[in-house]
Amino acid sequence: MKTPPPIDDAFAEYAELARTQGTQTATPGSTAPAAPAPQPKPDEFKYIGKATPRVDGRMVVTGAARYTHDLAFGDMLIGKILRSPHACADLVSIDLSGALALPGVKAALKLKEGRIRWAGEPVAAVAAVSESRAEEALALIKVEYKPLPHVTAPDKAMEAGAPLVQDQGNVIKSNDYARGDVEKGFKEADVVLERTYKTSWEVHQPTETHGSVARWDGDDLTVWDSTQAVQSIRDGLARALSIPAGRVKVLKHYMGGGFGSKLNLGDYTVTAAKLAKETGRPVKITLTRRENSICVGYRPTAWMTVKAGARKDGTLTALSVKSYNCGGVGRGDRVSEPYSDMYACPNVKIEEFSVFVNACASRATRAPGHTQATLGLEGMMEELAAALGMDPLALRMKNFAAKDKGDTGIPYSTKGLEQCYKLGSEKIGWDRRNKKPGGGSGKVRTGLGMASQIWPGAGAPGTLADVKLYPDGSVEVECGTQDIGTGTRTHIAVVAAETLGLEPKDIIVHIGNSDLPWAPISGGSMTTPSVAPAVRDAALKAAEHLKNLASKKLGLPPAEIVLENRKAASKADPTKAIELKELARGLPRPLPFHGERSNYPSTFAFQTFGVQFAEVEVDTETGKIKVKKVVAAHDIGRVINRQTAESQVLGGVVQGMSAALFEEKIMDPRTGTMVNPNYHDYKVATAMDIPEIVPLFADVIDERLNNLGAKGLGEPGRIPASACIANAVYNALGVHVREIPMTPARVLAALKRKEARP
Amino acid sequence: MKAFQFGSPKSLEQVTAYLAGADGDVRLMGGGTDLLGEIKEGTIQPDVVVDLKAVPGLAFIRRDADGLAIGACTAVADLAADPDVARDYRGLHEAAAVVASPQLRNMGTVGGNLCQRPRCWYFRDAATVCNKKGGSQCFAEQGRNKYHAVFGGGLCWSVYPSDLAPALIALESKVVVASPQGERTIPLAEFYAPPIVNVRKENILSRQDVVKEIRVPAPKKGDRGAYVKFMERGAWDFAVVSAAVKLTLAGNSISDVRIVCGGVAPVPWRLKAAEDALRGRTVSESAAAQAAARAAGDARPLAENGYKVDIFKAVVARAVLAAAKG
Repeated sequence: MKTPPPIDDAFAEYAELARTQGTQTATPGSTAPAAPAPQPKPDEFKYIGKATPRVDGRMVVTGAARYTHDLAFGDMLIGKILRSPHACADLVSIDLSGALALPGVKAALKLKEGRIRWAGEPVAAVAAVSESRAEEALALIKVEYKPLPHVTAPDKAMEAGAPLVQDQGNVIKSNDYARGDVEKGFKEADVVLERTYKTSWEVHQPTETHGSVARWDGDDLTVWDSTQAVQSIRDGLARALSIPAGRVKVLKHYMGGGFGSKLNLGDYTVTAAKLAKETGRPVKITLTRRENSICVGYRPTAWMTVKAGARKDGTLTALSVKSYNCGGVGRGDRVSEPYSDMYACPNVKIEEFSVFVNACASRATRAPGHTQATLGLEGMMEELAAALGMDPLALRMKNFAAKDKGDTGIPYSTKGLEQCYKLGSEKIGWDRRNKKPGGGSGKVRTGLGMASQIWPGAGAPGTLADVKLYPDGSVEVECGTQDIGTGTRTHIAVVAAETLGLEPKDIIVHIGNSDLPWAPISGGSMTTPSVAPAVRDAALKAAEHLKNLASKKLGLPPAEIVLENRKAASKADPTKAIELKELARGLPRPLPFHGERSNYPSTFAFQTFGVQFAEVEVDTETGKIKVKKVVAAHDIGRVINRQTAESQVLGGVVQGMSAALFEEKIMDPRTGTMVNPNYHDYKVATAMDIPEIVPLFADVIDERLNNLGAKGLGEPGRIPASACIANAVYNALGVHVREIPMTPARVLAALKRKEARP
Repeated sequence: MKAFQFGSPKSLEQVTAYLAGADGDVRLMGGGTDLLGEIKEGTIQPDVVVDLKAVPGLAFIRRDADGLAIGACTAVADLAADPDVARDYRGLHEAAAVVASPQLRNMGTVGGNLCQRPRCWYFRDAATVCNKKGGSQCFAEQGRNKYHAVFGGGLCWSVYPSDLAPALIALESKVVVASPQGERTIPLAEFYAPPIVNVRKENILSRQDVVKEIRVPAPKKGDRGAYVKFMERGAWDFAVVSAAVKLTLAGNSISDVRIVCGGVAPVPWRLKAAEDALRGRTVSESAAAQAAARAAGDARPLAENGYKVDIFKAVVARAVLAAAKG
């Protein structure tokens, strides 16, 4: 086994970002405080923590919101990409002449040379006056391939003599973690269990497929991109095209989902920019559903063999994990953190391996690694509880970790998981579970299961936002973040309105533009805990300025003035007040106030926590699972906007339920391609499958973290959803399916295992 | 997608006259819910698409002494919403109501549902040339086949997904086919042909034939029906297994029964062995389960679809019991 070489894959970059967000520092020389100031209590807020409908909701549902797919310019060309039909081949030659000879074709590019490692790899591209002309042109490109043997199944790739996917071998060790002595720990245990849990390739399937429009104005490039990261796409494009970053502007106004697949600079984006340069006309490339299913990543699998030891009272004595993670030609995810961090356990050993196959590289998918690990870790906790004859919730409480690294590291600044356990277990009626898994009878069995969640979500210090006061009284917030569908505009409006005594609808929000003040990628649950504190910081400065202006007009010290109901008013006598609009008239020019997200202390660990409880019905004759209810209780610090926060949890649970029951990218071993690259055969849950979902929040405000005490929520709702459903199925049947999606085939096979017939 | 001509005929006579002289790949379109998918995914590359919905008078549900007449261009949603159908032909009503999704039921037609192409991800893939597309092998047989046929495979292991076909065959319906030579009426049970007859297509229509209408016999006293569809997800899914049952009860005893399944074979699949096992028996859970088990004995599952046999047994037994319950 060799050490991992640098492989250009999506995960490495993302994982690093997620990993280092806790060590990011504020801008050098900035005035951002090293630590946040004391904070108002929740009931002192009018909008923060309450429910505000999306400020742009009407635009989205009426179709007025413009997505990248909607863009069209008069002289715009359509670009299309020719992709390799072979899963492994050497590219011998590409002849573009046939395509270039076709009337209406304005440019053609070669995109590849050398070894092709997956079916769907870009080979060439054209730009033509219409989509159909571009498609015709692709058919006229002559490519000579020398096909080579391929392998698309991880178990086959691990066999001796399998076709080599990467030069260094098909299996490499990708992670090694150890503390204490697991062998000693297993000897101390009264019960030791070893189980293997598996996850499948889950495709992001955003409703809006990936796409970009590129337009040059002289040396300046503007790219409209369906992306989760306008800032890093700008930087990536500048590098890819060898032009100064200052000449690139990336715009993204509205977006139909990304879930991690749109964090990376797309080859289609670079191609659109190159074709636009060559033709002198704007070029649009949008991927088809088939391309989107095959070519832009998926959640890598994890095949995790988990061994746990516990004393009779439930105390964990040892935990060892061996995980084979498959992300195509990429390294896949690391799944170690929930295993190493979630529970107090002195002896832990984790070994991870990357398995390479001939498929496109996986990409970060809503809580990379943690989602897979939670199926294994929480599945084991549930099976261990049964073996110990314990309440699974009591087993988790028994091993509660107040400190990082399973109680061996630095203390958590706040950990509201106990509150979540209490809220969630009461709401689901945890006492209704089968005390012994499989205790029910009849053709249709019911069960309850739970799974806990840990995930960073501390946000990025150094995030910038400006609040601008105009002499006409209008207020604008500018931030170079983006809304990936989570409601970023709304939370910005809520924070600015709260701080300035205005209403959310009064705030003009400009985001989705890389020229605006820096903000991080919208991934890793970073957007709200990065952006909201920066907006708050800027708005507090603007509020101070307004109070100073009012102080002169009202003849009161600034400290005696409050901003509320669109007025600056005396705290003591609200009738002594001046309209903010009138105050603004005194401004000589638009006045910007710069805000920045602060640092946080390195002596504490910052994580989000949560738990979900599921209730299911399983038809033992057909293997069909019906999820009846999910209660999701999360600790995400201070909730900024309760309405969009709840939406975020609903979406996470639905996605996790869908992955638990339906979703799987299925590869054909002979052709090396995906057989279900469409919305019909790749099954995403429909409205008919969605259970009652109850989102709850612990509302534990983390005053050390930032000036609002807010953590992120993009990922937490997704993390335990598949696992708690799998555990509920276990509670219903008395046999754990241990592999998602839990299709009828897998449920029926599990029911035929010996352990299902006690 | 290759450019094609789009025809909007004014009458059925225009359609048949056109078909008599047409060459090239001509496709008839009802709602287009299957055809457009085939075109967009590159499964087919027609030269001409003829829009049958443009023809007046092909969308109707009429009831008379002979039974029910359903125009080929009747929307599946209209069939599902028809109160007479719901009262007299419960199995047909249940089948229509679970087709795909509301949008697809609004667009899709009864004729189109009966003439849709089978489901197989290799057949549908533009780059794969299988037996069904003039090639020389079935890719599913040794490939990925969790949704494929457990009955009637061999040359082709695709599955016929229509919900309406099993229900209408169980009701002994007939199809009225128009052609340049005139009209003819064919029992729907004889309309479908297995791969062994012609692997390239699923029915006996020639390229000049147009399905005009469906006739369903009037219900007899004691007739009952049901349609049970097992889908992986709650909507917009083809049947993994479906079963349409029509049975006639004399007291508590089954005097006649027809069981036709969808999703398990390249064509709608009649379960004669199960019917024989049930005829003359009293309705009971065990009788239904035994009949289903007997039918399952003929199954030939592939590597990944053995679970469909388990589901088949449950679905058939449940459909029999649901029909008997009335």
